[in-house]
Amino acid sequence: MLKIKRFDIGITILMLIVLLGIIGPMLRNVDPFDFGNLRDMPPSWQHPLGTDSLGRDLLAQLMYGIKTSLYVGLIAAIIAVVIGVVLGGISGYKRGLADESLMSVTNIGLLLPSILLMVMIAAYLKVRSPLMVAVIIGVTSWPGMARGIRAQTLSLAEREHVYLSIMSAYRASRVLFEDILANMAAYIFTSFIIHMSGAMLAEAGLSLIGAGPTMGTSLGLILFWAQTMYAISRGLWLWFIPPGAILVALASSLFIVASSLDEYFNPRLRSK
Amino acid sequence: MAVALFTFSLIIFLLPRLIPGNPLAALLAEIAQRGQANPEAVRIYERMLTDYFKFDRPLYQQYFDFMGRLFRGDLGTSVRFFPSKVSELIAASLPWTLALLIPATLVSWVIGNYLGVVIAFKRGRRTDKVVYPVLLILSQTPYYWLAMILLYYFAVQLHLFPVAGVHSPLRVPNLSIDFIIDLLHHYTLPFLSIVLAATGWWAIGMRALAIYETGSDYLLYAESLGVSNRRLQRFVLRNSMLPQVTGLAINFGTVLGGALITELVFSYRGTGYMIYQSLISLDYMLIQGVFMVLMVTLLLAIFIVDVIYAYIDPRIRTGYMGG
Repeated sequence: MLKIKRFDIGITILMLIVLLGIIGPMLRNVDPFDFGNLRDMPPSWQHPLGTDSLGRDLLAQLMYGIKTSLYVGLIAAIIAVVIGVVLGGISGYKRGLADESLMSVTNIGLLLPSILLMVMIAAYLKVRSPLMVAVIIGVTSWPGMARGIRAQTLSLAEREHVYLSIMSAYRASRVLFEDILANMAAYIFTSFIIHMSGAMLAEAGLSLIGAGPTMGTSLGLILFWAQTMYAISRGLWLWFIPPGAILVALASSLFIVASSLDEYFNPRLRSK
Repeated sequence: MAVALFTFSLIIFLLPRLIPGNPLAALLAEIAQRGQANPEAVRIYERMLTDYFKFDRPLYQQYFDFMGRLFRGDLGTSVRFFPSKVSELIAASLPWTLALLIPATLVSWVIGNYLGVVIAFKRGRRTDKVVYPVLLILSQTPYYWLAMILLYYFAVQLHLFPVAGVHSPLRVPNLSIDFIIDLLHHYTLPFLSIVLAATGWWAIGMRALAIYETGSDYLLYAESLGVSNRRLQRFVLRNSMLPQVTGLAINFGTVLGGALITELVFSYRGTGYMIYQSLISLDYMLIQGVFMVLMVTLLLAIFIVDVIYAYIDPRIRTGYMGG
């Protein structure tokens, strides 16, 4: 596709996993929440990954879990990007009081171990859908995004074309949108991808502590059940190794895609 | 910094209390079980405990009480582990966590930085093509999943390491060689899982910085003079280390969160385990105490890193001295 070979590798792995999550359930019509199977079964034609200790088919769980994890990652990243871009952009452009107050909020937000906030919010909402978990993660991760956006805005605001627009009496919002944001688009896009992978890993971590979604299943939740049912000590490696491996593959491929896009948009980073 | 601490203390005070649920519920249930479940006695206990913890006073009074006690160094009494004092609980668990986190973070930082520079120099060649993907995958691997794999392979399959805990349950902590060996035995797997994952992360970051540095003129000049590769690497390491030092400070906050989950996987009785217990049982006092201590430790770490920053970068030093 793009001239960078790494991009092809990354996007291929990503697409394979996404397809597994989306097309998989259509091709294989097994209910991931069917507790009726025999428990702790080894792999067979009927259950290629076996079943877990609660009688659910692991492959169906995996495919459904991929979908949920991707969904949570996507929504959380969108929220973080939207809030981060708006607040970071205003902060970097307007400076002054708005900038100072926003930076103190961001600093507190960055210092607070976000696990704390997330677990407490999760404990407050006894029943949590994946969407709510995504919102929680998005709301706790925007400070990092805002910081980066603000730094970029600060440097972009000094460029000549911005001065030109201001002199031509463009409204501030128009200047922000057309001159500054348009030039940051590549950065925003790659940050979005990185945040998405971070959000997926955050969801897995939350689920492992028990603060994840209470409905449905996700890659983190599969790991949670494995941990609770002592799958490690019992040697049921087909339970906890595939979800983690898929998570690592997703995060790695997203990272490769992001960094190769970085190289594509910014020729100075290319190796030759 | 003071503002951040103050705001944080407010948040840590209010947030648990906003969660619906009676903090005394678990404790009362336990008392009711141990006693003869006499409703009168339970009610008397509830009144006595509420009075003791001052849960019936207005919020602002509770807050002032909390802050007042804090300045005197008294972190209160835990509800979940009644009647242990919070400071005792923290003192018992914090050393284990710090003993795990600090060495693990420092080791992975040092190794990661060095690896990153070496890889940056060998960019595009065979070593890079093999090592870079490995480091990349390691960096994106969650600590806890790596912990699960290590636990499964080395502890369950090969029986080389113990499965859980800080030390064997029958031993009392003391300074004998026997105990220390047992301790290290239990310590290895959690330590390894954090170090492997974190090294990948630092190496990737350092590689990016080092690649940027390799484009600079002074390196080209030195290379043309015939300076050995190893010395060039040292130059690059020192000059691109600064953002990594900042990252180290910020990292302490994140590592605490990750260690929480690692401690859960290994049933390692550290502060993370304590945090988890306090959060699920809604023990206000313990939550407040633990998180305040964590926050102070974090701010202290950031402060120390700031000082180190000034020490290693002469430009900042002269800036401070008005040079």
